Amino acid sequence: MNLRYVVAAALAVAVAAGAPTAGARTDGADAAKATTLTVWLMTDAQGPDWAAVVSAANRAFEAAHPDANVKVEIQTWGDHLTKLDAALAGGRAPDVIELGNTETTKYMAAGALANITSSKARFPNNKTWLKALTGSCTYQARLFCVPYYAGARAVIYRKDHYGAVGMRKAPTTLDQFVSYGKKVMARHKGDSNYSALYFPGKYWYAGMAFVYDYGGAIARFKKGKWVGTLNSPQAIAGLTKLKATVRALSRANRSGTEANQWTVFSQGHVGADIANGWEWGLISDPKIGDPALAPVLGAFPMPSHKKGKFMPTFLGGSDLAIPASSSNRALAVDWIRAYTATPMMRQLTSAAGVIPNTTSLVGINASKPTLAPFARAATSSWFVPTAPNWVNVENAQVLQNMLAEIFTGRRTIKSAADRASAQITQILNSR
Amino acid sequence: MSVAPRAATSAADLGLSDRRRSRGLRAGIRDNVTPYLLLLPTIAVLVGVLAWPLYWLGRISFEHFGLEELIAHKGTWTGLDNYREILGNREFWHIVLRTVVFTVVNVGLTMLFSTLIALLLVRMGRFMRVALLVGLVWVWATPVVVAITIWQWMVDFQFGVFNWAITKLHIANLVHYNWFDNSLTGFAVITAVVVWGAIPFAAITIYAGLSQVPQELVEAAEVDGARPWQVFRRVTFPLVKPIFVIITSLSIIWDFQVFNQVWIMLENRPSPDYYLLSVFAFVSSFRVSQYGLGAAISVVMVLLMLSVSFVYVRQMIQISEVDQ
Repeated sequence: MNLRYVVAAALAVAVAAGAPTAGARTDGADAAKATTLTVWLMTDAQGPDWAAVVSAANRAFEAAHPDANVKVEIQTWGDHLTKLDAALAGGRAPDVIELGNTETTKYMAAGALANITSSKARFPNNKTWLKALTGSCTYQARLFCVPYYAGARAVIYRKDHYGAVGMRKAPTTLDQFVSYGKKVMARHKGDSNYSALYFPGKYWYAGMAFVYDYGGAIARFKKGKWVGTLNSPQAIAGLTKLKATVRALSRANRSGTEANQWTVFSQGHVGADIANGWEWGLISDPKIGDPALAPVLGAFPMPSHKKGKFMPTFLGGSDLAIPASSSNRALAVDWIRAYTATPMMRQLTSAAGVIPNTTSLVGINASKPTLAPFARAATSSWFVPTAPNWVNVENAQVLQNMLAEIFTGRRTIKSAADRASAQITQILNSR
Repeated sequence: MSVAPRAATSAADLGLSDRRRSRGLRAGIRDNVTPYLLLLPTIAVLVGVLAWPLYWLGRISFEHFGLEELIAHKGTWTGLDNYREILGNREFWHIVLRTVVFTVVNVGLTMLFSTLIALLLVRMGRFMRVALLVGLVWVWATPVVVAITIWQWMVDFQFGVFNWAITKLHIANLVHYNWFDNSLTGFAVITAVVVWGAIPFAAITIYAGLSQVPQELVEAAEVDGARPWQVFRRVTFPLVKPIFVIITSLSIIWDFQVFNQVWIMLENRPSPDYYLLSVFAFVSSFRVSQYGLGAAISVVMVLLMLSVSFVYVRQMIQISEVDQ
């Protein structure tokens, strides 16, 4: 009977189909000719204005080092740490990496980054670096990275949509903003995709701002131990207000993320969103956005529930570090020096709309209507708990999942917050 | 029962001269060694890609292995700590249960639809059969990442064609209905994708088996007054049972370790409601840098899978013995 052959053939096919397709790995064969400096930057550096700064820095660096060439590889925030860990384990880490300011501590503590304390004096503006970023680069009084840029979020809105319901100037309280938003929603009730405030469910940077506005916190350090405190009465009050606001004003995906929210904004079904300064340019970019929106865009710091105050904004930012395993440490230092040189930072600040890494340049944006609101928003800020393990809370998606559970109604606010607090306590205190 | 001993015996039986016999013996030894020499490359590859990683997996599962240890390439021995932590974690047992239910449902649906399609293929005319086979092979040939992304678009909460069609057909109002807000409907979509992708291989293999069933047996049963269901249950099925056993056991192995469908569908950020064992192991290792814990989860997963597939493997060996 031929059945045996059928079984054998089936097995053979199954094995063949199951065999992993080995990805081709190109080895550094050109290493003999010139030194290649591999730099990992994040997707933000892909925007046209930002990319221009990167190439200018590369040209300056390569002019000074004719035997070296720079290879910039763009990474995404979602998986760059997974890739970095794999690269570190395999001993093939890049020479320069960009790390978010909430991500650095874990890597400094694990000894993954080169100690560059002795080179500090050689970096431009090192005496006037932003304190918050310098703090995220310092571990046990040693310097492991260089401040790159910071960002603060504010509300970017359509002046035409909000103007039509009578909003002439920035709202002074959260309730006032929400009531304008409800009117905007009512005016667009024919558009089932419309959001007066586009707020995807997993947008935790913006979500946690409500917690801090009501006096809550993600976690606190008590008696030598971290304790998740999202279930405190203050935090619950913030989350309750957040849920009501999002339910009333947003039709964004309740389990979705804020990645590419500028694209959604430029499609015309959004009245406002909570965004970084550089997103303004992306929304009205001719290639990836809609230039027709440029004249109707406005921005203001998110108002607090307390009259006349701003809701604290997450003070995000990035640093540039050199993995300890890099064999091109001196070149890497020089590249970072070229990239963070004052002219580069000035261009990055004015064209891309970031908050520069040095206080000496902060004034550049103060007079610009497109960027000043973000600088003002930064005067009231919050930051994640400074536990070495913090980034694991981000990576485990604890806050994102809690928010999605709250918005979708899968769990009550209390039960979602209880669970998230327990997870945070566990992660922050684990070795 | 390799060929070599048989050749030697036959040489002896023929009563050849001593000289020729000894040469035959030497040839026998050489023939005995050759198969093992030929196996060497395969064994080397298997050791390289299977045994070595498995050794490390097992070793790391007994160690505290975080980012620091990853960079230093050296963990600290902690004995059974990782296993104690996992087995004492209630969430872990929830995930085990979820994975088992998921596997049972997926394997069941895969086998059901594949059998029905295979039976259909046997009865179809030539043209339709080729058309259906081509369709199946197309599904099979679609790279899994591409397939998942297309499905993801189709069930997108805002722009998905699926929600749009259901709403337009007035079956239900699915405007802004997010399938993944609820893990039950989310898993329904994931199951559809997994089963859809698994059907071609299973259906074509079962069809190949069915086409080997002698037509006379079926006709004889029909003459004796057997109904179609009885023919299938009493005549066809027992004959192709080995195929069912092997497809089922392969499906169990595949569906027990489903990862891509969950991971890509949920944009690399599945919430804990969507954790299957594979996802849990990945998140523990690569998201929170607790590689020891992740390795221990993988080891438990392998053991669970072995115990499940043991029954089937044993049955398979029995069948092949009977068959010979």
